[in-house]
Amino acid sequence: MPNEEKYIQAFVNAFGVDSSVVPTLKFQGIEAWDSVGHMSLIAELEDAFDIMMETDDIIDLDSYEKGKKILSTNYGIKF
Amino acid sequence: MKLNPRMLSRLGLNGSFGLAMTELPALHENIGVFTADLQNFSGLDRFAKDFPDRMFNVGIAEQNLIGTAAGYASEGNIAYATTYASFAAMRDLDQVSVNMAYMQLNVKLVGLTAGFSTGILGATHICTTDLAIIQALPNITILSPADGMETYKATLAAADIDGPVYLRLTGSMNNPIVYKEDFDYHVGKANVIMDGSDLAIIATGSMVAIGLEAAERLSGEGINCKVIDMHTIRPLDKDAVIEAGKIGRVVTIEEHGVVGGLGSTICQFYNELGISTHLLNIGVPCEYTKAARYQSLLLKYGLNSDSIADRIKKFI
Repeated sequence: MPNEEKYIQAFVNAFGVDSSVVPTLKFQGIEAWDSVGHMSLIAELEDAFDIMMETDDIIDLDSYEKGKKILSTNYGIKF
Repeated sequence: MKLNPRMLSRLGLNGSFGLAMTELPALHENIGVFTADLQNFSGLDRFAKDFPDRMFNVGIAEQNLIGTAAGYASEGNIAYATTYASFAAMRDLDQVSVNMAYMQLNVKLVGLTAGFSTGILGATHICTTDLAIIQALPNITILSPADGMETYKATLAAADIDGPVYLRLTGSMNNPIVYKEDFDYHVGKANVIMDGSDLAIIATGSMVAIGLEAAERLSGEGINCKVIDMHTIRPLDKDAVIEAGKIGRVVTIEEHGVVGGLGSTICQFYNELGISTHLLNIGVPCEYTKAARYQSLLLKYGLNSDSIADRIKKFI
């Protein structure tokens, strides 16, 4: 599965949303993306890409777009 | 709800507890949650949003916390009450003794950040005496889960216990995972998570993962350890403790003082039954420490896998 699809699927799994809305998502922008939902997303991303995220990155990841940037810059994930 | 152990690890035990609480109103219509101004810290932000009429913040008033929860429970309801473990065991002790132990009201007291995880807040918030204090009171079931998934299950199980419960939560966010898959959890029935015949490690709470790590290192050196997750301190799984004693060498590990904790209880149990076994209790000496980060304090007191493995090698 291409990385972009894995990335979107992580959001779908964590928040139970349709893949079409994923690129618009921001932290606390939907009910499911609260602090608990955020950890669910982090767990999904870590499982999907076999990584362990640093605390600073976990805190910084507050949108779909920001997450892509963090994963590509700090974890070498190519999109 | 399908449990993701990695997510629960990230949440830590507090967050895992809070997540489990969101499931309870569907199972028990008479659940209420009380907190001494630690709603979000207890992982209860989602519970508070979904069930605002069941969430009660009494403010920084721990004696009121127990009194109010007890009043709620006296009406036939189930009350969960959350505060720091140090306050749960000490600041409101008279209320715990009278309302929970003596009156046996259905209050589930949750002791957050037991052990050293709030080490930076110093002696007032570090708690290595709660098991000693709560164990001295009759009638309170005492649960001490090892990781996020076990915390989730213990939280749900507590609601099914008719009577007072103390739920001790140790560790921090990004807590090590002990249970990578779903497993059977029964209050009072310890879990054997590694088999071995050279010695038995009986650990509780955060020290289960550490004990497991130490055992894995020792296994590489030809020492095969049985590792037991003693997730229920009372009622103690006596059969598991007796079986461990048959090996001849038992090591207990806890993020708690060596006075009055798991190790003391097991020592007393062996004495009462006349079971002769070599016993090493690893825990915290009876002293106060200066404020420091969690990992620093674990290192200082030898509650890390390398130090424990070294102590075990000397022990045998």
